[in-house]
Amino acid sequence: MLSRRKFIQHTSLSTAAVLAGQWATAEGAAVQRLVILHTNDVHSRLEAFPMDGSRNEGAGGIAARAKLISDIRAEEEHVLLLDAGDIFQGTPYFNLYKGEPEMKAMQMMGYDACTMGNHDFDAGLENFATQLKQVSFPVLLCNYDFTQTAMEQKSAPYKIFTKGKLKIGVTGVGIEMKGLVPDNLAGNTKYLDPVQKLNETAEFLKRTKGCDMVICLSHLGYQYRENSNKICDVILAKETEHVDLIIGGHTHTFLDEPMLAKNKKGEDVLINQVGWGGIRLGRLDYEFMRYKKKNLASAKSISVGKKT
Amino acid sequence: MRRITGLVSFLLLICFLIACSTAYKAAAVQYKGYSVTNTSKDSSFITFLQPYTDSVNKSMSTVVGKLAVDMDKRQPEGLLGDFMADAMLSVAEKYYETKIDAAFVNYGGIRIPYVKAGNLTRGQIFEMMPFDNIIILQKVKGAVLKQFLDHIAGRGGWPLSGMSMVIKKGKAENILIGGKTLDLSATYTIANSDYVANGGDNSEMLKAIPQMNKGILLRDALIEYVQEFSKQGKPVTVTVLNRVTNAE
Repeated sequence: MLSRRKFIQHTSLSTAAVLAGQWATAEGAAVQRLVILHTNDVHSRLEAFPMDGSRNEGAGGIAARAKLISDIRAEEEHVLLLDAGDIFQGTPYFNLYKGEPEMKAMQMMGYDACTMGNHDFDAGLENFATQLKQVSFPVLLCNYDFTQTAMEQKSAPYKIFTKGKLKIGVTGVGIEMKGLVPDNLAGNTKYLDPVQKLNETAEFLKRTKGCDMVICLSHLGYQYRENSNKICDVILAKETEHVDLIIGGHTHTFLDEPMLAKNKKGEDVLINQVGWGGIRLGRLDYEFMRYKKKNLASAKSISVGKKT
Repeated sequence: MRRITGLVSFLLLICFLIACSTAYKAAAVQYKGYSVTNTSKDSSFITFLQPYTDSVNKSMSTVVGKLAVDMDKRQPEGLLGDFMADAMLSVAEKYYETKIDAAFVNYGGIRIPYVKAGNLTRGQIFEMMPFDNIIILQKVKGAVLKQFLDHIAGRGGWPLSGMSMVIKKGKAENILIGGKTLDLSATYTIANSDYVANGGDNSEMLKAIPQMNKGILLRDALIEYVQEFSKQGKPVTVTVLNRVTNAE
């Protein structure tokens, strides 16, 4: 037991430290860790790429990905496992089973959320809705209106995850279907402006719901060289606020490191994407510090480093 | 003792006030991209997948032919795309019993980056062309074809067969159809997937043009084209004809 004197010394020391600066780092509990694992555009790649001497041979596959994920979960308390869409289409598994093993495998791996890619429409919205019955994680989309489609009430605009002392808001944005998804597959789905909808959703998550972080799962694509005005993750980051991390997809971009962008207010936004086919699993280890609310806005920018 | 209790309550109150007036913010992030490799696997996932794999293999492992060379997906032109466009033109001409001036494959519609030389299985063709797209013929005016070719040029070049062009500043130039310069007022018969003919991949200019549809799947055309070579005891060969090149 602590003597009275020591107790007071202890407590006042830590209290003093908390009160002293904008960094509330004196107590262990002031630092919160969160590990985000992510995939995108896995495209029905359930088995590893075949051993045919080509550059992707042996890469990917659910058995290897699941092992990596379970090893990380064994070491880390707070993990979020997310996917940025195009789960479907690309191997004969999809032609034969229409996404059943893909969804079951994601459920077994314990995915927390996904968004929808243009190829997830491929066997029809009704099929996507049917396959979703096998999973307990949500499909997050804030800019598709599925009224009068088979997906009505089957997606959610956001989900809030409580991880330790952190509240993490996750949302998603889908790509414009016109000229990409055949009309008969898109059906009555309405595409809404992703910038506007994401701003609304992220503001709600931060301001009203008090989330410490907002993650956007995006299937808009990283960037378009041939059409620099087309909405993409790089533009989305610049045009929005309250979003801390964009986990992207669609363009099959292998980013060797996440891209650090500035939002509308000059605050940091991270963008990451891990190619396609489940060749890579992205990992972001976040450390959160406790700040006094009045100092939050002036808190210094995020430091980004390679995990060793 | 009372003093201590009082002090503890006071400190607890301070802690509570601090907790209420603080929030968490991401201060640091460390990134890592794991290469998902074959070396370590979760066996329960292998067991789970096995029944699906068995039936996929049953229908997909059939060897339909042989490739003489490695074929890759590349812009402005690659062997894999050339092969697909050639197959489309050749098989469509047979079933529609008409001369086709040019056939096109949208670059994004090729779903595998390369195929190695050697045996080609039904499964590989499914991976190349997983979509149930149908080959459509359309009769288009040269002027509309020019718009479509400009669109293709703007996208960095798509696989095509029966013609050639040069991409200059994002536009199609030096267009030769069957060896002759494009005539803006002539009518051409072109083959596309129903996806593109219906305006897919932003091919709006084709959307309103009437379609001939005999329900031939592009994937089946690829299989049939490979089998034609096999019947003659030959591997599939593809020739780069500099169909699509970049200026300068």
